[in-house]
Amino acid sequence: MKIKIELFGAARDFSKQDYLELTVPEPTSIKEVRENLMDFIQAKYPENKNYLEIVKRSAFANEHNEIVQDHYQISANSKLCIIPPVGGG
Amino acid sequence: MFHGKVIDASKQSISLDEAKKFITSEQCGASLFFIGTVRNHNNNKKVTGITYDSHDAIVEKSFKEIYEEAIHKLTIDHPSVYIEHAKGYLGLGGISIIIAVAAKHRSQVYELSRYIIEEIKKRTPIWKKEHYNDHQSDWLKGNPVHDLSK
Repeated sequence: MKIKIELFGAARDFSKQDYLELTVPEPTSIKEVRENLMDFIQAKYPENKNYLEIVKRSAFANEHNEIVQDHYQISANSKLCIIPPVGGG
Repeated sequence: MFHGKVIDASKQSISLDEAKKFITSEQCGASLFFIGTVRNHNNNKKVTGITYDSHDAIVEKSFKEIYEEAIHKLTIDHPSVYIEHAKGYLGLGGISIIIAVAAKHRSQVYELSRYIIEEIKKRTPIWKKEHYNDHQSDWLKGNPVHDLSK
């Protein structure tokens, strides 16, 4: 199934668009989404270790604006946001 | 009383007057205004401006949660809080955040204001991209968020 991940902060550099579309097995979890995203980044930006570090240190939020944990299950057409490490003020 | 909002810097500026109007109350003997601004250096680099990115819905939810948590944890009489954070590009001196608080006593406003800014820095989804005088730009490293309610 396809899922859409909206990009924020440092993760915006992963694409010229403000989201990424990934194809993942159904059902899947946040843990698997993170692994899938890391594979995608490694294939697209093999030289950029910093991007992998950003994915490792990021949280994910669902369409209800809740931070979701690794075990959270994703269904088809789920919308996720990647929340890289924050630092406002 | 609470107000929390993300302000698009390309359309609007953060207003100290609006904040003051909102928190002013005859029940409160103390008001405190914390203002964050863009400074001209960071990590030995000359900064020319900052672009702020924000997940607006989660930011505004997080402001509310932090406010509720603060008044639950701290002892504050008649709290009134006004928080705004800018998103988009700000040049040097631009106001990125205002936290205006009013309460009965001065110790309460210092404590409340400090609690709010420290929690925002830890967990509110706002990001900074610094721009330097050599025309390079960098996202700042930040703090990982695992659960907004903790």
